[in-house]
Amino acid sequence: MRVYRAFFGVLIATSSAYGADVDYARDIKPLLREKCAACHGALKQEAGLRLDAAKLIRQGGDGGEAIKPGDAAKSPLFHRVVAEDPDERMPPEGDGERLNPEQLQLLREWIDNGAIASADEVIPTDPAEHWAYQSPVRAALPLADNADWQANPVDTFIAEQHEGAGVSPVAVADRHTLVRRLYFDLIGLPPSRDQIDRFVNDDSSSAYANLVDELLDSPLYGERWGRHWMDVWRYSDWNGYKNQLRGSQRHIWRWRDWIIESINDDKGYDQMVTEMLAGDEIAPDDLNVLRATGFLARNYHTSNRNIWLDATVEHTAKAFLGMTINCARCHDHKFDPIAQTEYYAMRAVFEPHNVRTERVPGQPNVMNDGVPRVFDAEPDSKTFLYVGGNEKYFDKESPVFAALPAVFSEPLDVKPVTLPPIAVFPALWPHIEAEDIHRAEQQVATVKKQLAESRKKDADKSDSIAVAELKLDSAQANLNSLRARWAADKAKYVSSASNVLENLNRAAANAERNAELLKARFDLADTKGRLAVAEASRETDAAKKKAAIDTAKKAVEAAKKQLADAQANAKKENATYTSVGKAYPRTSTGRRLALARWIVNSKNPLTARVAVNHIWLRHFGEPLVSNTFDFGLRSPRPKHADLLDWLAVELVEHQWSMKHIHRLLLTSRTWQLRSSADSVLQTANTKIDPDNRLYWRANVRRLDAEVIRDSVLHVAGSLDLKQGGADIDYANGETVSRRSVYFRHAYEKQMTMLVLFDAAGPNECYRRSKSIIPQQALALANSTLSLSESRKLAQALWAEVKDGADAELRFVQLAFKQVLARSATSTETETCRGFLNRQAAILASPGSLTEFGGKTASTVEASGDPILRAKENLIHVLMNHNDFVTIR
Amino acid sequence: MSPFESTRRGFLSDLGLGFGSIAAASMLQQDATATIPSQIQQLAPKAKSVIWLFMIGGTSHMESFDPKPALTKYAGMTIEETPFKPVLSSPYLENERVVAIDPNNGFIRNELYPLQMSYRRWGESGLEISDWWPHVARQADDLCLVRSVWTEDSNHGAQLQFHTGRHRVDGFFPTIGSWVNYGLGSLNENLPEFVVMGTPVADCCGGVEAHRANYLGPQYDGVPLNIDPANPLPYAKPPKGVYREEQIGEFDLLRRLNGITAEQYPDDDAIRARIRSYELAFRMQMAVPEIVRFDDETQQTHTQYGIDEDETRSFGQQMLAARRLVERGVRFVQVYHGSNGGAGQWDAHKGLKASHTKLCRQVDQPIGALLADLKQRGLLDETLVVWASEFGRTPGSQHSNGRDHHPYGFTVWMAGGGIKGGLAHGATDEIGFHAVEDRHYVTDIHATLLHQLGLNPRELAIPGRKRLEKEFGNPIHEVIV
Repeated sequence: MRVYRAFFGVLIATSSAYGADVDYARDIKPLLREKCAACHGALKQEAGLRLDAAKLIRQGGDGGEAIKPGDAAKSPLFHRVVAEDPDERMPPEGDGERLNPEQLQLLREWIDNGAIASADEVIPTDPAEHWAYQSPVRAALPLADNADWQANPVDTFIAEQHEGAGVSPVAVADRHTLVRRLYFDLIGLPPSRDQIDRFVNDDSSSAYANLVDELLDSPLYGERWGRHWMDVWRYSDWNGYKNQLRGSQRHIWRWRDWIIESINDDKGYDQMVTEMLAGDEIAPDDLNVLRATGFLARNYHTSNRNIWLDATVEHTAKAFLGMTINCARCHDHKFDPIAQTEYYAMRAVFEPHNVRTERVPGQPNVMNDGVPRVFDAEPDSKTFLYVGGNEKYFDKESPVFAALPAVFSEPLDVKPVTLPPIAVFPALWPHIEAEDIHRAEQQVATVKKQLAESRKKDADKSDSIAVAELKLDSAQANLNSLRARWAADKAKYVSSASNVLENLNRAAANAERNAELLKARFDLADTKGRLAVAEASRETDAAKKKAAIDTAKKAVEAAKKQLADAQANAKKENATYTSVGKAYPRTSTGRRLALARWIVNSKNPLTARVAVNHIWLRHFGEPLVSNTFDFGLRSPRPKHADLLDWLAVELVEHQWSMKHIHRLLLTSRTWQLRSSADSVLQTANTKIDPDNRLYWRANVRRLDAEVIRDSVLHVAGSLDLKQGGADIDYANGETVSRRSVYFRHAYEKQMTMLVLFDAAGPNECYRRSKSIIPQQALALANSTLSLSESRKLAQALWAEVKDGADAELRFVQLAFKQVLARSATSTETETCRGFLNRQAAILASPGSLTEFGGKTASTVEASGDPILRAKENLIHVLMNHNDFVTIR
Repeated sequence: MSPFESTRRGFLSDLGLGFGSIAAASMLQQDATATIPSQIQQLAPKAKSVIWLFMIGGTSHMESFDPKPALTKYAGMTIEETPFKPVLSSPYLENERVVAIDPNNGFIRNELYPLQMSYRRWGESGLEISDWWPHVARQADDLCLVRSVWTEDSNHGAQLQFHTGRHRVDGFFPTIGSWVNYGLGSLNENLPEFVVMGTPVADCCGGVEAHRANYLGPQYDGVPLNIDPANPLPYAKPPKGVYREEQIGEFDLLRRLNGITAEQYPDDDAIRARIRSYELAFRMQMAVPEIVRFDDETQQTHTQYGIDEDETRSFGQQMLAARRLVERGVRFVQVYHGSNGGAGQWDAHKGLKASHTKLCRQVDQPIGALLADLKQRGLLDETLVVWASEFGRTPGSQHSNGRDHHPYGFTVWMAGGGIKGGLAHGATDEIGFHAVEDRHYVTDIHATLLHQLGLNPRELAIPGRKRLEKEFGNPIHEVIV
C-alpha cells in the first residue's frame, strides 16, 4: 500500500554537508533560523541581536559583536552555543534542542573561514509587513492577448501567468464532461440522462450560464457546499460513552441544518460568521439564528474547560482568519507576530461563554430534542496566562483582558449587549408556557376521569373515592400554582409595576404552598391505602410480606412528615415561590460580537482571502494559498496573489455572496478547461509547470466520500432527497438511503465506508486527503450498498430496453450514460458485450461455481436469470470503474 | 516523478493477463513475497517485523516483572513512615500531567500494599518474574525487561500516549505502528503492512486513534483483523450468494475497462494507482482470511497456544495469527488485550489478585507459546516482540485490595529482533515508585524498535508537521545486541 505515498508528502531530506565546504545559505542560515531566529530575528530582537541575516550577525547586538570573523574561538556566539552551563547556553532550555556536534562544526568552520555570505542576501522584513496582513486591494485586470481569455476576470489573471511562463492552456472540455463536472461541483450528485441531454442539446448561448444558475438554485447545492463548510467549521455530532455526553452537543444537527439553509439562501458570509460567533448577541430571541452558535457549542468538552476553550480559540482563528494562534499557547509564536499573552487575550473573548439547550415546540425533554446554543454565563470570569501552557502555573493577580493581536492595530470594540427577557428567562418562550400548562390541565382532566370511574366502580369503597378526590384537589392546586407562578415570573422578567409584582409574587407563593399542602394530603392518603393493601395481601412468604409492609410503613411515615412540613409552611405569608424556569445573566459581554465584527470588517486582511481560498480549492482541486489554515509568515505570497486579492475584494463588495463567487469561477474558461492534454502540449507544458500550478488544464479530482455513497444510490434512483432533521445512525448507512451529510459523524461514530474514502476527521479537516487504498476497492466491490444498487439499476435499465431493437447494445450504452455520464466507446462496448456473454455462460451453471461464503445479506436478490445477472455484474463493474469516482 | 513511471509500460502490456490468472497465481503462491522498497533509507536493519502486545488498563509491574519485597516487609505502613518517604517529594512527580481531576483514581496511595504474587528466578540469566507469568518466564533468557519506563498521564489517556508519545490533551498523532508502516517497504503484496487485533482502546482513552496514522493519511492506519475467516476485515467478502468466479469475471472486466481509460489518459497517475489498489484488494480477499484459518497448523500448535481452552482461546488465536502474519512479512502487528469499553480490565483498583490471576491466565500461555514458536522457527531473530501496558500500579493500596494508576515507573519488556535476552535494564526504587536508574519515557521504546528496524526516528517527519523532541525518543543502546 505504501506505493501511494508519493501523493501525500515528501520527506524532509536531512542531508548535511559535513566535511564539505561550508556554505552560508545552505548550511548556516537554515540552522540559525531554526535555532535562533524566533528570538533573534525580525519577530523579536532579544539583546538587540538578530541572527537571521549574515550582515546583521556581523553587526552584533547590545552586548557588542556576536562573531569575530575568522576566529570562532573568540566569537561570543560560538561560546554561547557550546556552553555547558545551561544558564549560559543557547538556545535556552525549553526553547530548542542544543546544537549537535555536526552543527557546531559547521558553525565553527563558517566563522573560522571568515563568515562569508552573499552580499545580496535579503534581510527579512518586519513581520507586520507580511502580505496577508495587508488589506487586499483590487489589482487592475491584466490584459490578456488571447480574446478567449478576456471575458472573465479570473481568466485574465490566469492568462497573464500562462503568457508570462510560456505555457499554452488546453482547450475547453466537451459538454458531457462539463455537465458532469458542474453537477458534482455544485450539488454533489451526477446528472441524470435527461439532464445530460438537455444541456448537451441546448444550443443557446446562455445554456451554460443557465445551468450554473439552475444548480445554484437547487436545494441540493446547500447540502453539497454545506458539507464543505462543515469540514472547515469542524462539524461533529455529539460523542460520548454510552449515553454520557463527552464532546460536542446533542441535537447539534440543528446547526448543520442552519448551515445548509444559510448556504441555500446565499446568506452573506459575513452574516454567517457573525451568527456563528455571536448569534446570541445579535438575535437573542430568534431560535433560528441561535442554531448558528453550534459552531461554538460544538467545542464543548466534558472533562476539561481548557481543552474546550483552546479548541475554540484555535479553530476560530484557523477557520476564519487562517491564523495558527494556537502556536502561541505555551510560548510566543515562533514565526508569526503573536505573543503568548495575545493568545490568552483571544481566549478572554470566549472565557465567559457556556452552552445551554433551548426547548423546541413539542418536546419538553431537551435530552430528546432542543437547540444547543451558547451564551455568556459568567461575564466576570477571568483569563490567566498559563506559563508554558501549563494550567497549573499562572499569576492570579494578573488577568489578561480580551483584545486582538497587536499586529492588526485595531482595538476590540466591545459593547455589552442587554438581552431581551426571553433570553434571560427562556421559560418565556410562548410554547413552553402553553405546553407546561397544558400538561397540568391534562393531568387534572385525567384525574377527574379517574374519580368519575372510581365513583362508579368503587361506590361502596369510600376510602378509594376519598383518595381520588384528594388526588384531584392536588392536581387542580398544582395547575393553579403553575399558572400563578407563571404570571409572577412573566411580570418579573417583563417589567411590571412593583406593587403589581408584589401581589403576583404573593399569589404565586400562596398557590405553591397550597399545592404543596394538597399534594401532601393526597400522598398520605395514598400511602395509607397502599399500606392497607400490603397488610391485606395474601402473600404466603412471611418475609416478603413483612418487607412489603415495612416499605409501605416507611412511605406513610415520610408522607406524614411531608404533610407536617407543608402545614407549617402553609402558615407562612412571604412572597417567595419557585420560579418556573432557570434565569440567566441579563447582559452578554459583547466580546464575541466585537470579535465577529472585526473579522467581517471589509478591511480585515485575512477573512475574505481565507474564504475565497477555500471556495477555490473545492472548485479547482488545489488552493491558491497552499496551507488553507495558515496565512502567517510560513505562507509566502502565493503565485496567484493578485487573483486571490481580486476575488477577496469581489466577495466583500458583493455582500459576501458566495453564489456570486461560484458563478464567477464556474463561468471562467479556466474552470472549463479539459483535464488532459495531447502529448505534444503535455510535454511542452510539463517542462515548465509539471504540477499545473498555473492552471493550464483542469485538475483530475476524486469524488469526496459522501458524493461516492450518494452517487451509488442516486444513479440507481434510490437516493431519498428529503432534507434536514436529526442525525441518522451511522450504522444504517447502507440501508437508509438519505444523503450522507445527514448521518451521524463524530469521534468513534462514523460510517466505515465514508471513513475509508477520507471523510472529514470530525476533530479537524481544513482539507480532505485523497488516498487510493485497497480497502476502498473492497468497500465498493463488496458492500451490500453497491451490490444492491447495481442489481436494482440493471433490472430497471433492462426493463427499459428489453423489448426494443438491439436491446443488449442499448443496455450497455444506457449503463455507461447512467453510471458514468458519458457514452461508451466502441472498444468499451465490445469489451462489455464479450463480458456479458462469458459471464452469462459462467453463471448458467451455478453447480460448478464456488460461493464466497460472505455473511451479509444484500437488500436486492441477484436475478435467477444468468443473462440478467451478467447485466447486474456489468453495472456493478461500472460502479467500481475509475471514472465513477473521478471528476475529469 | 510518478511512482508508476517505471512500471507503466509493464502495466499496459500486462493488461492481457486477466484476474483469473492473478487469482490462480495468488492461490498457488499464497506466501509469495515481493519487496516494495521504501523511500527512506534503512540502516542495517536487525529486525523485519514487530509484534506489539498492549494490556489495556495498567498491569501491576511489581507483581509481574519488577519484584519489590519491601512492599511486603512494610505492608500497612504509610510511605511517610518508611525509609522511602523521599519518593513523595521527588521532582519526578512533576512529570505527571493531570487533565481533569478524577475523584476516584489517579492518586498516590500512601499505605503500602504487600505483593500479591510470589516470584522465582528463571533461566540461566536468573531473571526474576512473578508466578503469574510462568510461560513467559520460561523464555526469560530471551526477554529484556525495561524496568524504568515512565509516562505523564496518570489516567487512561496514557493508553493513547503510549502509542503516540503525546499526552491525550495534545490531540491525536501518528502512532508507532503507522510510522513503521510509513517508513518501511512492504514485504508482502497480498497483505496490509500494519494489522491490529483485539478490541481497541475505548474512546475514553484514545479509541482507535491508538492505531491510526492521523496526518500520515489513512493508508498508514492499522487495518483491523478479526479472527473470523468469514469476516476478517471490513468488506473482506461480498454479501451472501456471490460466486468467486462471478467476481473474477467482474474484476477482469474492470481491469480491461480501466485499462482502456488509462490508455486514453496516459498522464493520470491516479488511475494506475486505482488499478493496482483493486489488484491488491483482490489478493487481500484471498490472503487475509487464510491468515485466520488455522487448518494447516498442527494439533500440538493449537494446544501450545491454548486454543483448546476457553480462557486462552481468544488471545491464543491472536498470537497464532500474529505469528502467521509476521511469517508472511507483515511489518507491525498490534494486539490489544483487556478492552472493556472503558478504562480496561487490567485496571485493578480493587480485587487486584483475583483480576490479575484471571487476566494473566488469559495471556501468559499464548505469549509464551508465541515466543517459543517464533524461536523454534528461527523467526525470533527478525521479529521484535514488545509487551506493554499504559502504566504500572501504585505501591500503596486502594479500596483495601487494589492498586491505583502509576505513571512514575513501570515495566515494558522486549524480546527478539536483536535485543539482548536475559537482561533487566533500568530500575525503580525499593518500592517500585519512581524509575530511578536509566529512566525511559515511552518513546524510547519506539526509538529502540525503529532502530532495530533500521529506521532513524528523526527522519520520520512530514513537512509542516512539527514533531516534539519527546515524540522521537532515543534508542536504548544498552539493550541492543
